[in-house]
Amino acid sequence: MTAFRALALVAAAAVLLPAQQLKFNLDYLAAKASDSVDLSLNGATLQFAARFLSSKDADESKVKKMIASLDGIYIRTFEFKDTGGWSPADLEGVRQQLRGAEWSRIVGVKSGQEGENAEIYVRSENKKIDGVAILVSGPKELTIVNIVGPVDLDSLASLGGHLGIPKVEIAKHK
Amino acid sequence: MDWLEQELKNGLARKEPPPGFADRVLRRVGHRAQSPVWRHSRWLAAAAAVVMITGGAAWREHQGHVAKEQVMLAFRIAAVKVNQIQAHIQEATR
Repeated sequence: MTAFRALALVAAAAVLLPAQQLKFNLDYLAAKASDSVDLSLNGATLQFAARFLSSKDADESKVKKMIASLDGIYIRTFEFKDTGGWSPADLEGVRQQLRGAEWSRIVGVKSGQEGENAEIYVRSENKKIDGVAILVSGPKELTIVNIVGPVDLDSLASLGGHLGIPKVEIAKHK
Repeated sequence: MDWLEQELKNGLARKEPPPGFADRVLRRVGHRAQSPVWRHSRWLAAAAAVVMITGGAAWREHQGHVAKEQVMLAFRIAAVKVNQIQAHIQEATR
């Protein structure tokens, strides 16, 4: 009976747990940060929000289409006034989770000048992408994004120039 | 049959109401239904129901707009980061 109860509790917890693929408990950094954002949007919240996104507005319509197949978006960003607000150990806990077989790093950028590191990982199951993790860290910044569900990075990037985001134009190869 | 049984039988025995009892009851019920207090409490209940329904809808609408703003902010942050990464890559491959 006890075993059955334990099983029932585990099953209930699995149902109640958000679909977040990465755990990043970095609340302690918020106290040191000058700015921080904590967004935990599960599938139900996304679908609820979708009802309020206009199909007539170009930006909102794009976002509406993108979230239709998503199960969650989890974001933590921290901005610090000075360097040293966060330590590599803070990020290590997240990186460790990304070493699992289901995750693969598709982009890794290290900017020597600005001291910025950026990585994009994709999670796949049965040869289908079902999640993305974006880690961006700089001397005064730390951002972790986990988008759960089939993500089209091109569509995400194409939002540049929209949503009030300036499009980064880089001269092409000559 | 002992005395207690007899007492109970007498006490619970069916008795016809006094003449005019039904008329008096109906008159009082009709009077209560027409009284301003009774009428007002019905209006109050209806008003409370309307307030609850419209208040609930307004709250839901507010929650929807909050969720929408959060989703837009999430996409803004994610898109900015992907754009930055793309820019770094393009710079590096130039």
